Amino acid sequence: MPAKELTRPCMDCKDAEAVLTTRKRSLCSHCFKLFIAHKTFRRMDHHKAPPKKQKDYVPSKLLLPLSLGVSSSVLLHILDGQLQRQIANIHGRVAYQLHVLVIEPSTISPGNLSYDSNFEELQRKFPTHAFTRLPFHSVFEYVPEMKDLINEYAGTQFADDSSRSDKDRLAAFRACVATATSKDDLDNVLLTRLVVAFAKQAGCETILWGDSDTRLAAKTLAGAAKGRGASLTWQVSDGMSPWGVQFEFPLRDINKPELHQFASVCSELANIVVPDQPISENTLTKNLSIDELMMRYVETQGAKYPGVIANVSRTANKLQPAGSDDCAECALCGSLVSNVKGNTGITVSSQFGESQGSRFCYGCSRSRPEVRS
Amino acid sequence: MAPTTCFNCKEARAVIIRPKNRHKLCRACFLQIFETEVHETITTSNLFYPGERVAIGASGGKDSTVLAAVLKTLNERYGYGLDLCLLSIDEGIRGYRDDSLETVKRNAEQYDMPLMIVGYGELYGWTMDQVVEQIGKKGNCTYCGVFRRQALDRGAARLDIKHVVTGHNADDVAETVMMNLLRGDLPRLSRGTSIVTASGASEIKRSKPLKYAYEKEIVLYAHHRQLDYFSTECIYSPEAFRGSARTLIKDLEKIRPSSILDIVKSGEDMAALVPQGGNANGKTCRSNAAEDESAGGCGSQNGRTSGGEMAAMETQLAENEAAESMETEIRLPAQQPKPGNSRTPKQIKKQTMGHCERCGYISSQRVCKACTLLDGLNRNRPKTAIEVGAGMDDEEISSTLMRQMEHTQLTNS
Repeated sequence: MPAKELTRPCMDCKDAEAVLTTRKRSLCSHCFKLFIAHKTFRRMDHHKAPPKKQKDYVPSKLLLPLSLGVSSSVLLHILDGQLQRQIANIHGRVAYQLHVLVIEPSTISPGNLSYDSNFEELQRKFPTHAFTRLPFHSVFEYVPEMKDLINEYAGTQFADDSSRSDKDRLAAFRACVATATSKDDLDNVLLTRLVVAFAKQAGCETILWGDSDTRLAAKTLAGAAKGRGASLTWQVSDGMSPWGVQFEFPLRDINKPELHQFASVCSELANIVVPDQPISENTLTKNLSIDELMMRYVETQGAKYPGVIANVSRTANKLQPAGSDDCAECALCGSLVSNVKGNTGITVSSQFGESQGSRFCYGCSRSRPEVRS
Repeated sequence: MAPTTCFNCKEARAVIIRPKNRHKLCRACFLQIFETEVHETITTSNLFYPGERVAIGASGGKDSTVLAAVLKTLNERYGYGLDLCLLSIDEGIRGYRDDSLETVKRNAEQYDMPLMIVGYGELYGWTMDQVVEQIGKKGNCTYCGVFRRQALDRGAARLDIKHVVTGHNADDVAETVMMNLLRGDLPRLSRGTSIVTASGASEIKRSKPLKYAYEKEIVLYAHHRQLDYFSTECIYSPEAFRGSARTLIKDLEKIRPSSILDIVKSGEDMAALVPQGGNANGKTCRSNAAEDESAGGCGSQNGRTSGGEMAAMETQLAENEAAESMETEIRLPAQQPKPGNSRTPKQIKKQTMGHCERCGYISSQRVCKACTLLDGLNRNRPKTAIEVGAGMDDEEISSTLMRQMEHTQLTNS
């Protein structure tokens, strides 16, 4: 049989035209998807079904929070592929079940339109999995103590009105936060709390976050910059969160541009993924939030030195979780209130003359609505 | 609009917006608060004991000048009972060092402290000017940093002093944290955040009392106390371009002024989470201080990594990844454990301190970094100076030399 006439054959299968280049290798879309999927499966290895002889096997439930962005959508696509193969294999068993949670993007940033069609498309394309869609303000429903907590946390700057709806009360709280950095920081805290509370209620023991290595590097640097260095052991590392739910980041070996490439060759995701809102180049540095600054930094540096950026999250993943034996945890974000055991440093928020109760950690005290700068 | 009154005393007119938290303060309150914060740092970490002899590493720059001034003030105000002196290193950079040394000499008089100057020339046989002549303007900061570290210890030893304080500020520490996160070097991150670095073998301990002080506030303090300091950067540094970490921290400071302290706090916490970082807590860290901080030798070079370094690391990482994908896992047949030879889990390699074979200075290697660098320098230095026989005419001399050189070139090629 004569060989196919290919102008640029795929370096893996040598049987198809290469459509993209990743890590200095030209691949066809099929081999590229395999490559990315393989990197993800390696991180999912430990979720295995027991041998057949073991009866009464119930696959564990894993929660996949889906932002409808590129990364989490690609993660869903890859894991769905793995599960479909396991279901099709009559001799095998499924290793896990997925529960997908979408926190309505329109309730997070008001500029976003409603994503009904994306959500419907999602259920049509991935019919095997359980789906739940929640508004952001349901955090008050799933975390009942949250209302009192934000009142205590926000202090005098925030006048809660219990006669109003949850939606309005959350909006009022978010509006009283002064700076972009604190806004982003507290939104992340509240979103995490909501996802964790939902996971617990739905009986999921693990949450699979869709962060790329680019995003993890940005989160590492931003966490360090916001005084949250101690909680990196679960915020960017695979490990146990303070609420007894395991956090995992299966996309930690794949960078953001690669995930974009994946989505571009994956027609199933076309009507699901909501494109990221690019950070405007014109925004003054001082008007960015720390999270945005770090994302911007990591993306520009990552274009030149992808390996160096990938190494940042690998480095953070090496930190050993602090034994939280008898240390108090922050009522809001779950981090340690005091220093990590063994740290005798004296950087405390009291240096800023705020001596409020010690229910909140250093990082949270920096984002309090009263703190203007 | 009426002038703003001081946030602290509510009386005097505010003339300073504090960089740390944007409080508006009057001059007296600012000086007072700055000093009190350094005092708190010193007392909470038990940096000194009464009667201790302490050498202040003085470069004539703002950090060390402020450190000397604040320590003198606090020593008198709170009765620390310290015996303070200034210790300066003369790198031998004409046009930079001679001027800043003059500043240090004036400081010694102003603060009534004894001053000791140790020169690279007498310690190593090479001044920085000679080093630059030899290896060029690129990468000479490494030499300077390594040499300076040892010089401080040696100078202190000569004065029989066991404690050297340096002017590292919060910005420096924050930079170290960010830089080592980017470099993936957790052990160094952990060592860089500790306020005291005690050398494992040598008896000289180093500390940074200004660890929580902002660089900007140090400048303000120096300005408002009208301290006499030298503000020109090292003439060899402009080619060393600003590193990523420094730029990032300047941007962060614009967004949230507290972030420098927040990074220091994160760094301290992370230091306690570094695997095997048992004794690496926020306060004391036993290791060879001289080698740890060598990379950030001089203040102006601190945090400036050459772009080449980042690119080199990128190449290295890419090669590692390529190698990883090519490697085949080879499993050895399971071995029966021999009785009495139980295997212990692999330990992470730790620095063990010994002494350099050449100079006897404490080092984790057989030959210390300074001696290694000196080796490289000395290799290229002509063993015997070219001497020209007396009595020859100028013309003859040049032609003889010319012939000799041609000969050398020929044999070389």
